[in-house]
This record gives sequence, C-alpha cells and structure tokens, in this order.
Amino acid sequence: MFLIFALITLLGALSVAFQKNLVVAGLCMVITFFGVAGLYLLLANPVAAALQIIVYSGAIVVLLLFVIMLLSAHEEEDAQSVHSVQRWGSVAAALALAAGVVKVVLSSGFLRGAASGPAPANMNLERVGTALFAEHLVAFEAVGLLLLAAMIGAVTLVKKDL
Amino acid sequence: MQPTMCATASILHGSLQGYVLVALLLFVIGLFIVLSRRSVLIQFMGVELMLNAANVALLAFARHWNGDVQGTVFYLFIIAVAACEAAVGLALVVGLFRHRQTTDSDRADALKL
Repeated sequence: MFLIFALITLLGALSVAFQKNLVVAGLCMVITFFGVAGLYLLLANPVAAALQIIVYSGAIVVLLLFVIMLLSAHEEEDAQSVHSVQRWGSVAAALALAAGVVKVVLSSGFLRGAASGPAPANMNLERVGTALFAEHLVAFEAVGLLLLAAMIGAVTLVKKDL
Repeated sequence: MQPTMCATASILHGSLQGYVLVALLLFVIGLFIVLSRRSVLIQFMGVELMLNAANVALLAFARHWNGDVQGTVFYLFIIAVAACEAAVGLALVVGLFRHRQTTDSDRADALKL
C-alpha cells in the first residue's frame, strides 16, 4: 500500500512538472494531494488525511483553478525564447539533489535504526483537539488573526479601487 | 548483500526511511518545477508541493516518535499558514496580471509598474 500511494504522489508531482496545460496540471495536483492523504492514512493519522483532502484538494486547488480560469492563463501563448541554460540547469540541479537525497537517506544509520516498536494508537480528533486547546490556545487565536489578515490582504490586493 | 536487500524491503513496506525518501523526492520535484517552469501559477504549484513534502516528513517523524499528538497539532497550524499563503499568493498573481497581462515570470522582470 505504501508503494502504491508513494507512486501516486511522485508520479502526480512529475506530471505537474511536465504538463503544458495549466488546468490539467492543476488536476494532477489533486492526484498528488490524494496520494499524500493516503500516506497520512498509512501513518495512522486519519485526521491529517481528512484535513489534507479538505484544505488542499478542496480549497487550495479550487482557488488555483478559479484563478487560472479567471486569467485565461491556459490560453496564454508560450514564451518566445527557450532558455536552455534554465532548462538544463534545473534538470541537473534536480538530478544531483535527488541522487544526494537518496544516498543520504539510504546510508543514514539514524533513520534505519528508527524501527518502530509497538505501533502507537491511531490519531483521533479528540486527542488533537485536547492538545490544541489545552496547550496551544494562544497559537490557535494567533492563527485566527493570521487568517483574517490574509483575507483582508488578498481582498486589498485584488480590488481595483478601494 | 543481505542487509541491503532487507533495507530495500523495509523501505518498500513503509519504514521511516521510505517516508523520508518520498518526502525528499517530492521536495526535489517541487524545486524542479519552480526552477524550470516560467508560468507563475505552475511555480506556485511547485511551492505547494514543497510545503506538502515538509508535512509528510513531519508526520512521519511524529508517527515514529510514539505517535506524538504534537506533530498533528503543528500540522494543523502549517495548513492554516499554507491557506493564507495560497490566498495572498494568488491575489499577487491576479495583481500581476492586471498590470502586465501576463503570468509569465520572464515578462514581469521590471521592478517598477
């Protein structure tokens, strides 16, 4: 199961990278987010999986698709010049980073030694809510303020004449 | 030879190593998208993928830290900040399009309007 969800995630992300059409790339993002939600389920964390589907594949991708449609950005013509330096430089950087990452993770004694003992219980909403409101109440209120500020900021940025 | 085969099998069945590997590869793909594509919207998607990669690593470590609940609480805060970032970032893209009639980051290279 882990392999399936990991492949869904990585192939979805790769198809975003090589997709010409913006709308299709947005839909590939949904596939990737569902793969990540599956990974969270395998980590025995259904709360995070539900949040992932609601916030990412729900809200953020829909917002993104709205903006793509609003700007008709998928009908915009391609750039005239192709920067070969940018293209091959990014390919080389990504390949080098990926190789380094694989080598580091495979040779890491700490990660290999972290064999899970007895499997911990599933995460449930009750535990999360208790920890959230008992220990992180101030941060919770601050996040509420941050959301308000972001909302006002977005409206101010987009509105033509305030 | 035997330990290598054993490690590969445990990665394929979802050990901590496997999750960290997937998270880092997802991050590299996101970085590749940001570097190689020129539409601002696609670059935004790459940023979201990188944020997701960090979340995968966070929750994998939280799970292997005896299923600590603090990881999920922190994930909640990260997702709230990500929503803010999406709203403001897309508003910036719309503003850029108002002024320049483009979402190509190469055609928006002047510092003044």
